[in-house]
Amino acid sequence: MTLFGRRLPIVAAVLLAVGLAAGLAAPPDRIQGNLQRLMYVHVPAAWLAYLGFVITFGASVAWWWRRKPGHDRLAAAAAEVGVFFTGLAIVLGSVWGKPVWGVWWTWDPRLVTTALMFFVYLGYLALRRATLDPQVRARRAAVFGVVAFVQVPIVHMSVLWWRSLHQPPTVLRPGDPTIDHSMLAALLMNLLAFTVVFTVFLRARMRLAAAHDEADATPGPLAGDAVSAPRLEGVTRDG
Amino acid sequence: MTAWLQLVQITRKDLLIEARSGEALLVTTPFGAVALLFVPLAVGTDTPLLREIGPGLYWVVVLLFGLLVTLRHSAVDTPAQIALLRLCGVHPVVRLAGRAVASALLLLAFELLLVPVTVALYDPAPHGWPWLLVVLPLVATGLGLLGTLAGALAQGLDGRTTLGPVLVLPLAVPLLLGATQAPRAAALGHAPWPWLLLMLTVDLIAVLALLLGAPHLEEVA
Repeated sequence: MTLFGRRLPIVAAVLLAVGLAAGLAAPPDRIQGNLQRLMYVHVPAAWLAYLGFVITFGASVAWWWRRKPGHDRLAAAAAEVGVFFTGLAIVLGSVWGKPVWGVWWTWDPRLVTTALMFFVYLGYLALRRATLDPQVRARRAAVFGVVAFVQVPIVHMSVLWWRSLHQPPTVLRPGDPTIDHSMLAALLMNLLAFTVVFTVFLRARMRLAAAHDEADATPGPLAGDAVSAPRLEGVTRDG
Repeated sequence: MTAWLQLVQITRKDLLIEARSGEALLVTTPFGAVALLFVPLAVGTDTPLLREIGPGLYWVVVLLFGLLVTLRHSAVDTPAQIALLRLCGVHPVVRLAGRAVASALLLLAFELLLVPVTVALYDPAPHGWPWLLVVLPLVATGLGLLGTLAGALAQGLDGRTTLGPVLVLPLAVPLLLGATQAPRAAALGHAPWPWLLLMLTVDLIAVLALLLGAPHLEEVA
């Protein structure tokens, strides 16, 4: 068994190539021009960050319920991948913001709440890293994994609750999406491609965690085992 | 002994330990005052600017240093103490709730001690100050609860005092927003109820998290 698997990375690479082509083939935005194409990565990254944290929440609740190590590993892996995609969404949004808004960062509710979500889950990962005992780590992480989830709906609803520079939802909204259908098709294609990438990362991280747990459970040689007590030449133990 | 009496006794114990050690009020409060003194030295002694930013800085210092109050050394229970409380029939929720009440009272004292320092150093406009009578306890309660939860999560870890703030600060942002915006809204003639409601919501969510999480965290210890 390899870390990334054999077939899924190939599928992910093919889908990413198709998604990239779809993004380039879609018509440019009437106002923003080609800059808008960043959306084909930025939006899936943000959605997959949500997905990662939803999985962390669900796996944390499942751990409380069943106490299976696999649930804890899933929660941890999903949080790590979620943090990666949150970071990606923030960086891409910033790259887009400089030419369009004129600044790398602005005090917009969506941006601020997303950055806070990023730090909340960095705290989750820091908590896991600081706790060595697997059982204690799983218990603490499950509590914080549930508490931290409060931030996710706040991020999503921030554009509706407060006056925001960030555009309101165009797809995840009641009614028909307010986006051109050819652009929507390219967006959904990229969403599928990045979801497969997400799955590849998640599975690899879970396998790594399982291998780590297995290595921890197997008693190996201790440091210093190979060192024997010094003996002077010609001197026997009896003196 | 009823749960209510247990809670009162645990709060009393925490406050007595603090009275003896003075960690929160004799060490952290002067540290916070020093931070308030340092900012004008860094940004420049422009009186109108300082008057403008003073209240915001006060709340930033309250949040950052207030967490040190909640994570004070005297608020750490050893495994033996926790085992003893468990044998005495003290429920984990009661133990953590008692700690949260003690932390909230200390935070209130901490906030009140820093108010005159801020007024002296920054001379902020006094508009909307009566709302502080509501805002100060709401922030102290929320921060006390969140800090207690963070302390329980980071119990026994080497990096407890650094990890705790990392866990709690992003979740405490609505308290900062509510605390700064409520008096400002009142000063502009608007009703500050939405901001007070926001802080109350955070407090209630923190209570819920403590009620649900405490039994699970007790097993950790």
